[in-house]
Parts: sequence; structure tokens; C-alpha cells
Amino acid sequence: MDIFVQQLVNSLSVASVTILIGIGITLIFGLAGIVNFAHGEFLMVGGMATWFMVGAGMNFFVALVLAGLLVGALGFAAERCLFRFTLNRPMNGFIMSIGLSVILQHAVIRVFNEFQKSITDPVGLVWTIGGVDIIAMRAIVVAITAIIVAITYFGISRSRYGMALRASVADRDTAELMGIPVRRYVTGVFIYGSLLAGIGGALMISLFPITPFTGSVIIIRGFAVSLIGGLGNVGGAVVGGLVLGLVDGLSAGYGYPEWTDAYSLVVMILILVLRPQGLLGGTLGPKAS
Amino acid sequence: MPVTDNSAGKTGAAPEGARARDRLALLTADNAAVPLPAGVQAITAILLAVLLIALPWLGLGYRFLSIAITTLYTAIGLYGLGLQFGQAGIMSVGHAALMGVGAYASAILSVQLGLGLWASLPFAMALSAIVGGVIGLPTLRVGGQHYIIITFCFCALFVIVLTNGGTFTGSATGLDVGSVTPLPGINFDKLSNNYYLVLAALFLAVVATYLIGNSRYGRTLRAIRENEQLARSVGINVDLHKLGVLMVSGLFAGLAGVLQLYYLRHISPTLFGAFPSLYLALMVMLGGARYLYGPLIGAVVVNFLPEVLNLDPVDSRIAYGVCLLLVILLLPGGVGAGIKNIYCAITGGFETQKQRGSNGRA
Repeated sequence: MDIFVQQLVNSLSVASVTILIGIGITLIFGLAGIVNFAHGEFLMVGGMATWFMVGAGMNFFVALVLAGLLVGALGFAAERCLFRFTLNRPMNGFIMSIGLSVILQHAVIRVFNEFQKSITDPVGLVWTIGGVDIIAMRAIVVAITAIIVAITYFGISRSRYGMALRASVADRDTAELMGIPVRRYVTGVFIYGSLLAGIGGALMISLFPITPFTGSVIIIRGFAVSLIGGLGNVGGAVVGGLVLGLVDGLSAGYGYPEWTDAYSLVVMILILVLRPQGLLGGTLGPKAS
Repeated sequence: MPVTDNSAGKTGAAPEGARARDRLALLTADNAAVPLPAGVQAITAILLAVLLIALPWLGLGYRFLSIAITTLYTAIGLYGLGLQFGQAGIMSVGHAALMGVGAYASAILSVQLGLGLWASLPFAMALSAIVGGVIGLPTLRVGGQHYIIITFCFCALFVIVLTNGGTFTGSATGLDVGSVTPLPGINFDKLSNNYYLVLAALFLAVVATYLIGNSRYGRTLRAIRENEQLARSVGINVDLHKLGVLMVSGLFAGLAGVLQLYYLRHISPTLFGAFPSLYLALMVMLGGARYLYGPLIGAVVVNFLPEVLNLDPVDSRIAYGVCLLLVILLLPGGVGAGIKNIYCAITGGFETQKQRGSNGRA
């Protein structure tokens, strides 16, 4: 039982990072209509920036905020300089994002190197609750993710900005006629998603080491999470992240370990074929395809 | 629709800038649908054929010829991808896996049954076509973006299956095959002969693409690409045609995979994973999927760019990414579109071009 609870906290903390990147993708893909393959690299850049700042003697939590802002700025630049021009040709945007991911990956290798980087546990505490040892940092990662999910969820579903955003997705022309600056909202969503990727990267490096190639591994999980839950659906991304975490956890424990990666892929393909709109329903992706 | 139409419409205020912008619009426009005069087409084809046939005689060295062979068999696979994306509008980022199906089918037939290239080729191509169709089944239910993710998943799954396939697929180390069975008087161990073998296959791929593009079948595919609902409502069996084009694309991929196998003589799972697949998608976009020579141009650019730039691997990747961004931003139709538009701008006698120009000024 103790081991089970410990495993649960560990899986939850890993799932948290997946959920953060999943939310970023679900917003950018589902609401802004941009297929950004470089999103994983955004996360990696966030992690690397955190590693650099912590290495320079900065407090981890300050570095986390700065990494989020940095990657948010990166997202702003990418949207203004690149994706803005391909909004009516999503396929070109997709190809450009692959180019961007190649550039970011190798720029990081050029600036640092290709070896894996890690930081020491920034909190360094172990809580013992009812005989269960819980690494404090992992619990903090889960808590930060929960707060971000809550803010995003209420922002999208309750605030007037969220409502305007959803209106722009439902009917772009009408939304523009009602005075909603749709283009600005697209930029805003892109920045917000990138910011989450930066924070996700910072949290990720606090859990395990990352390399410049981490982004390309995690991006497919991010797409999986957002598609399983339903594009543009924040709650769906959380469910998707938990489903994927559960599948991974169970398969690692009970199945053949060498097939671990295959299970989540099969689950994803099945869900895409059987329920293309995702488990909780979403926007079915950008309309201009 | 060229993306530049908007800017051309707003040019009333500044006539000087307007003319420059019109000219830029002409260069970046996507004129894939407008045929060039038959004579120009024929001359281009003959010049290109002569250049490709003469290549081994130019004395450019072993390394150059090796890259040329890689370029050509990649281009064969790209013609399949160009067909499904350029004509039918279905993009895939799992195409390397489809090439891998052909390569592995041929290699397994060679290891288990001792079949050579010629005997295993039909089986490998057929299997690639069938797998292409099976992966294509979900496209009938889900949209294009979802299909991209599905093909990407298939690619990752394929690599995992190959890696865990034991001695049957050679696990992570892969499989080895012998050399190509010699035809009477032709020994394919010689590099230039291997080059001509791949070139002959490429020739078939280009001819097939040309014939499909100019046939009733090609027009049907384009109708589906432009407006699926409308195509359905005039009685076109959209589902059947989509599966059909994916299977034809699989045939090309199988052919390319077998040629790759017998050129490298050794294959391993990483050759057919997610990144080779992404690169195939890049090449076809870079060259221009809707143009007859687009896939070939894309393959040439991507394979020869690192050689031309002569940078260390990291810098060449960065340069490559930057080039890609520039091409997509400035030439949304690919390099093929750029070459065609430059030709048209020079000669000037081009119906659509005039029409677009007058629209811009109006």
C-alpha cells in the first residue's frame, strides 16, 4: 500500500509535466489552429534556461518564473515572425514548426552541448505522511500544475476573455464583426501556451535530467494528451494526461517493459479512430485543413 | 489560393510600392494548375533526363554519386507522398515507415527464403500498398490533422515492433542482404550501375506521376482535395479514391524501400523512424508537391545542401532549418513554384499571370 501511494505521487508528478505540455498544445492547436511541432522544443528550452539560471546561483522558483516568461517571449516572436503568415495554410505552419524545432534543438547544442543536464533537488525535503515517504519537490510539481490547470480552466470557461476566445473558434467572421480582435487572441493563446511549456520545462528538469532531444520525445505525448482528451478542452488534457500516465504506469508494472512505449501509441490510435473528437469532446481541430 | 492576394488588394494608396508588391505576388503565387506550353515541358524533361543520365560520366567522385543514389531513391518515395498530398491533399508524416515496410519485407524474404531483389520486389510493393491502405482507413473517419498524428504514431509503433521482432526482423541491429542479382551483362555491384537502376525506377515514378496528374483519375483526386463535399455530391466515390491514392503512394514507397535496402545492403529500424519520416514531409513541401519535378527538387536540395554549405553537422542543421523557414514563408508552393514563376516572369507570356496582375491593379 505504501509503495502504491508512493508510486501514485511519482506518476502524478510525471503526468503533471505531460499535462502542462498537453494544455499548451490543446490551446494552440485547438483554439488558435496552429500545429506547433516545436512546442516540445519550447519545453526543452525552458528546462535548459532553468538549468543555466540555477547553475548561476539563482533560486529555482525565480528561475521557474523567468523560464516561463522567456519561453513566452519566444512564443511571441515565433507567432509574430512565422505562424502569423500561415494561418490559412495550416500544413505550411506545421512544416515551419518542424524547421523551428530543428533550429532550436541545434541552437541549444551550439550554445551548451548535447549532453544531458540536471539540477539538484531545489527543495531537498522528504515528507513522511502516515508512513509514506513523499519527495517534497514532486508534491510541489503536482500542486503547481493543479493551480495552473485551475487558472486556465476558469479562464477559458468563465472569464469574458475565454468566452471571446471560444467565440472566435466557433465562428471567426462573426466574432470579428462583434468587435473581438481575433488575431490578437490567437497571438495571446500562443504566448500563453508557450509560457506553460516554459514552466513545464522548468518543472521537468527539477524531476529528471533532460537533453536537447527531450523535446522531440515529449511532443508526441503532448499531442497524444490533447487529442485523447479533445482538442481545445483543458479538462480533456488533464484526463488525457492521467490516462497516458496510468497506461504507462500499469504497463511498466504488469506488461512487457520493452513494449511500454507501444501501449500509449496504441491507446492513442484507438481513441483517434473510435472517437475522433476525443474523450471529452473538443473542436475537432482547425477548420481550414 | 495564394496568400499574397490580400496584400495585392490593398495597394491603392502607393502606386510605386504597389507595382513592386504585384511583382512579388507574381513570384510567390502558386500556379501549379496552369500548364506550361507542351514544348517547354518536353525540353525540360529531355534536359533533365540527359543531365541525370550523364551524371556518372562527369567524374564527380564516389561520394557525390552515393549521395545522388540516396537522393534518387528518396525522390521515388517522395513521388508517392507528392501524389497523395499534392493531388489528393492527404499529408502523412509516416512515409519512411511505409518505405520501411517494403525494405523489411524484401529483406525478410531474402533472409528466410533466399529471394533476390527482382523476385521480392512485387511482394514488397504489394505489402507496402496494402499497409498504406490499412493506415489510410482512419482518414475516412478523421480529418487531415488527425491523420498526420496517426501516421506519426504508426511510425513510432513500427520502429518498436521492428526492435522487438527478435531474429525475424534482426532487432535493433537490423538485417543484411546480398547484392542485387545481376542481369545479363550488368553487374550492380558497380556504383554507376546501381545508380542507373535507381534512375530507371525514378523515371517510372515520374512518368506514372505525370500520367496520373493528367488523367481523369488525377482530376478526380484534385476535385476531392479542393472540395470533398462537392466531389461526393457529384457522385465521386471519395472513400474509395482516398484509399486508392494511399495504396498507389504505398507502391512507390515500397519500390523506394527495396532500392534503399539493396543500395545500403543493411537496414535497421532507425532508418524508418519518426525523423526520416518528418524529413520526407519536409522535402515534399520544400520542393512543391503539386509540381511534377517538385519532389525531385526537394530531395536534391535536402540531400545536397549540407555538402554545398560544407558546415559542421550542428551548423548545417541550423542553416537547413532557416532555409526551410525562408522557403515556406517566401514560396508557399515550394521551390518548384518559385522556379516556374521565375520562368514565367522572364518570358512574360503567361495567361494567368497577366490576369492576376490586372486584378492586383484594379
